[in-house]
Amino acid sequence: MPPSEDSDLIRLKGRKILVVDDDRINIRILRGMLQVEGYDISEADTGESALTRYDEVQPDLVLLDVMLPDMDGFAVCRELGRRHGAQAAPVMFITAKQQSEDIVEGFSAGGVDYVAKPFRQKEVVARIRTHLQIRLLLATQRQFVNQLSQANTAKNKFLGMAAHDLRNPLASIRGLTEFLRDGTVGELSAPQLELLELIHQASQNMISLVNDLLDVATIEAGELRLTLAPVALGMLIEKSVTLNAMEAARKKTHIVFEEHTANPELKLDAPKIRQVIDNLLSNAVKFSPPGSTVRVTLRALTAGGHSISVLDEGPGIPEGERDKLFKDFGRLSVQPTGGEKSTGLGLAICRKIVEAHGGTISAENQAGHGCEFRVTLPPTP
Amino acid sequence: MNFNGKVLIVDDEAHIRKYVSLILRTLGAPVIIEAGNGRDGFEAYQREQPDLVLMDVNMPVQDGLETLKQIRAHDPEAVVIMLTSLASRQVIEEAAQHGAVFYLRKDTSRDEIVTQLRAILGEIFETGDPSPSAP
Repeated sequence: MPPSEDSDLIRLKGRKILVVDDDRINIRILRGMLQVEGYDISEADTGESALTRYDEVQPDLVLLDVMLPDMDGFAVCRELGRRHGAQAAPVMFITAKQQSEDIVEGFSAGGVDYVAKPFRQKEVVARIRTHLQIRLLLATQRQFVNQLSQANTAKNKFLGMAAHDLRNPLASIRGLTEFLRDGTVGELSAPQLELLELIHQASQNMISLVNDLLDVATIEAGELRLTLAPVALGMLIEKSVTLNAMEAARKKTHIVFEEHTANPELKLDAPKIRQVIDNLLSNAVKFSPPGSTVRVTLRALTAGGHSISVLDEGPGIPEGERDKLFKDFGRLSVQPTGGEKSTGLGLAICRKIVEAHGGTISAENQAGHGCEFRVTLPPTP
Repeated sequence: MNFNGKVLIVDDEAHIRKYVSLILRTLGAPVIIEAGNGRDGFEAYQREQPDLVLMDVNMPVQDGLETLKQIRAHDPEAVVIMLTSLASRQVIEEAAQHGAVFYLRKDTSRDEIVTQLRAILGEIFETGDPSPSAP
């Protein structure tokens, strides 16, 4: 036997099994064979006493006869499920009733297994071991998930605190360089100004990163609160296009907001949706070669709701990297074309904001070149 | 507007004091006094009788809210603006309750701070609101 199975057997020793049967001889046989395996056995001979014993011993598995003097085993099983839910110990029926409808009822009552009497000892022992192992694994997994979720909460808290504490000094570094650049405290030479510009840009980039981190920490902590109010979506896009067009002009890239017939009023959190549109536009400019055209389209969907699409002329999403796109820190292998920075958080934040609105966000490579990012927003109720 | 009153800046970060004092200079403030914590801030207030106080919230020795209470108890007409970062609503409300006239977020852009400060100072000192010592 391989060592891993061996150690699993050791971990199963001392597990508690409740044997429920009104036939003393059956109980004695089962007790004998299970004690040899190292299990801790308790007994009950009626449905009522089984439920009481269950609460007393908190077994890891129940071996349950179907024909009991006071109630049938299926009812006992259903009652255990009702009382203990997903935490209830697995129930294995062990019974002379072996019509297929009995077996079906046993499973639909919540049993995990069904063994017919007379049983083969080795088979019962093997089945019990399997169910105990599953239970052990489930408990371990639940514990891991809890620990991970606690660690994740702690990580987010730390992330939020660190980002928070970095904001003031970064804003002051940026502000102080602006005073130097303006000549408020004396004229600077051209090479000095050049260095200063680098410091200014670096502090600006760090502020963006810190803001993104704060967004992520806030969203992950479940603190993304939407403040919904009616907004003309077309106007919102218009503003974002105007702002981003200035940055795009540095790369001789044009942003075109296509003719649209719809200018719906939707109930949205305007600043957050604006953040999404800004992000998609700046990405489109970032990853398109200089001199490109970025096209923005607003459409009413026939199924209700609206879609915003941003079509760039960049290289598209590399094959095999699609799943990273909307994830935290999911930076792809494609590079911005003008030396711009990216934190890898922008699209993850977009996804969370759009989903909080009940919408979807997706990306499709276009035949030839370019990529279309598409946000859909559901109709306002 | 041109603000020509005396200003006290209370913040434990030297770079923030420098940054805020540069902003005030662009608004015209001729006299700027600095203090690095709440206790020194209150002492400076009593000694210098400034027209305007800009004060951080979280500081060692004595925090901004405590110092705000002291200053307002000493001089009910004192004009105090709190300097905050991503401010919690609770801190802002508490400061307002104790007589702070405004709060400025240090983590916004310089232009934003200048615009806000210009507006609030215009409102307080030029339209002849609270401060009797306003120029």
